[in-house]
Amino acid sequence: MKQFLIVLKFELNNYFKNKSFVITTFLLAFVLAAVVIVPTLIPGFLDEEESAPEEGVYEETIVDDESTYEEDAEMELDALGIYVTSDAADVDLEVACSAYPAEWTTYDSEAELKEAVESEEILAGFIMKGRQDVVYVVNNLSMYDYLGESFRLSLAEVYKQQYLMDKGLSAEEIWESESFYVSVEEEVLGKDSGANYAYTYILVFVVYFLIIFYGQMIATSVTTEKSNRAIEILVTSVNSNSLICGKVLAGAIAGVLQAGIILGSGFVSYGFVKDAWGGMLDFLFNIPTEVLAIYAVFAVLSYLLYAFIFGMLGALVSKTEDISKSSSPVLMIYIASFMIAIFGMTSNSDSMLMKVASFIPFTSGNAMFVRVAMGSVAGWEVALSAVLLGASCVIAGVLAAKIFRFGTLHYGNPIKLRTALKKASMK
Amino acid sequence: MKLEVNELKKSFGEVEVLHGVSFSVESGSALGLLGRNGAGKTTTIRILMDVFKGNSGVITMDGKPFSTKEYQIGYLPEERGLYPKKTVGEQLTYLAMLRGISAKKAKEQMKKWLVRMGVEEYENRKLETLSKGNQQKVQLAQTLLCDPDIVILDEPFSGLDPVNAQILKDVIKEQIQAGKLVIFSSHQMSYVEEFCDEIAILNHGNVVLSGNLREIKREFGRDRLVLSSLDETPQELAERLSNGFSDLLDVEKVQKDKVIIRKKEEMNKPVILKRLLEEGVDLEFFGLYEPSLNDIFVEKAGDEA
Repeated sequence: MKQFLIVLKFELNNYFKNKSFVITTFLLAFVLAAVVIVPTLIPGFLDEEESAPEEGVYEETIVDDESTYEEDAEMELDALGIYVTSDAADVDLEVACSAYPAEWTTYDSEAELKEAVESEEILAGFIMKGRQDVVYVVNNLSMYDYLGESFRLSLAEVYKQQYLMDKGLSAEEIWESESFYVSVEEEVLGKDSGANYAYTYILVFVVYFLIIFYGQMIATSVTTEKSNRAIEILVTSVNSNSLICGKVLAGAIAGVLQAGIILGSGFVSYGFVKDAWGGMLDFLFNIPTEVLAIYAVFAVLSYLLYAFIFGMLGALVSKTEDISKSSSPVLMIYIASFMIAIFGMTSNSDSMLMKVASFIPFTSGNAMFVRVAMGSVAGWEVALSAVLLGASCVIAGVLAAKIFRFGTLHYGNPIKLRTALKKASMK
Repeated sequence: MKLEVNELKKSFGEVEVLHGVSFSVESGSALGLLGRNGAGKTTTIRILMDVFKGNSGVITMDGKPFSTKEYQIGYLPEERGLYPKKTVGEQLTYLAMLRGISAKKAKEQMKKWLVRMGVEEYENRKLETLSKGNQQKVQLAQTLLCDPDIVILDEPFSGLDPVNAQILKDVIKEQIQAGKLVIFSSHQMSYVEEFCDEIAILNHGNVVLSGNLREIKREFGRDRLVLSSLDETPQELAERLSNGFSDLLDVEKVQKDKVIIRKKEEMNKPVILKRLLEEGVDLEFFGLYEPSLNDIFVEKAGDEA
């Protein structure tokens, strides 16, 4: 135990005496605090900010609203082209053009229209093959392209109005029929995924960064002695369990401390200027204590699990250069776990996949936290998952220590994990 | 304290590298583990240090099973290496503390040994900025600063210039005088000869010769004589001896200025001397042959390979 503490202190010093570590930590903490505090000091800044969509909040754009067009109409109109094929006798060109406000140009053939689109004379073109059969021609279809869809909806709306008018309704009656507005207020008894999304996302991301950044560092610190050949002195004077635990935990503590300082600075500064923000950042900083506590447990445990696995990887190789190669499979597993969690957040946080993932130690850190933050989960499930994760940490630690001892004087090619496990279990 | 190693065997995979190594050494004396490259010296030392286990064999200290944890051991591994990015003082203190020495004592010892090895000005320098010889001295300071009862040095002289080798020799002699149990391996015989009481020569994983160095030398030189003549070259003398004296002796070796002969068993020195004078050999030197450790080593380990 005493040796463990000596190793831990020495290894922690490696981090804390590292200038770039200290500078990065305080710089990031400072930047976050500044982002939270500075806007409150600029008069009028927050009032304008109010209407701007915040990060992580979906803003639904309503396209079939008449007023949108009128606003658009005041602005510059898009240059669009239209061509009515000879089969489409029932298409009224004027009606079609008036359905969507734009600078319409009529073409006499499909080829001419396509050429115009290609030469960027017009933004896009529509080929009317029939009353309800339109081809949308565009040069490059962007992800957020709305023209085709807007035109389709507008045209359908015009047809609907025409139909209703043919049936004898007056224009006022049609307008009135569309003016019923039902207001729905939400009363969430469980969890509001929308409101929790932002902080859940950020917290999951914090663990992601910790594991990606610190994993390699931990593996490197375990390999260091093998790389510089101090290992023989070390294993003959220290218990190898103390050595590897000290190293892994030092990395883990440094990581948690770094994340804690950076996030903490955000929380603390928000606490001071909360009123100035008018609670606008509550969606980021107002995390229920219970969720935060469970996050702390799962984040730390799953981080530890991965830290020990990276320690194990460090024990397998004898040169620091070899680490990145052998650590990629583990990173893959972690990234998969991260993707599952993110997928669960955006779709259904209580899906079968998430339920399964929240009990598998490699994925449970993220998955269980997402379920706690955004879905519904029973207390025993959380406890069971935490115990499983904790037990895996211990197993990973023991294995890492065994492999470390076995691989002590194994210089040269990296040992295969399977061979190492076999040999380690033999002793 | 008496350390005894008995019938140590070790295989790596299918290959047995130690075929039953035995030797013993007591406090206040030094054992030189000699052998050519690949003879099994480092393997033996590593088993002794519990870096890995032997396949069979017993190691005892005063009759009880030997455990590295019960003794303070200063170990200089063959694989030299410390933390290149750390300052000399910092890592020496750390390594001493790992061996159970308090922080304060570790610092004192660190300073003391850096002075003793003559590298005190590098205390706050990063190890990688030191020359190889100085790094080696830092490593030796590391080995000894826990004030060990047992000192095990694997090839301690490799990489040292004659001046530094002298410092190390003095340090080892001090350790022996202080009653420490010293084991070291080497293939530089001249150093071993200076302060080793006991030797064990390893060859291909076997101990081919072991025991007290003085006795070994005496035993080795027992039947042998050295002679040289004033008016003949050693070659001429050797020829004359092998032709005219073959009933009394065999010429064993012709050296630069001497001839070494082996007496035929029943013959004693006066008989040979008398005969030499009768034959008119103008003797320059006639004496007992005292073999150097090098001669013994070459004879015992310089075999078939």
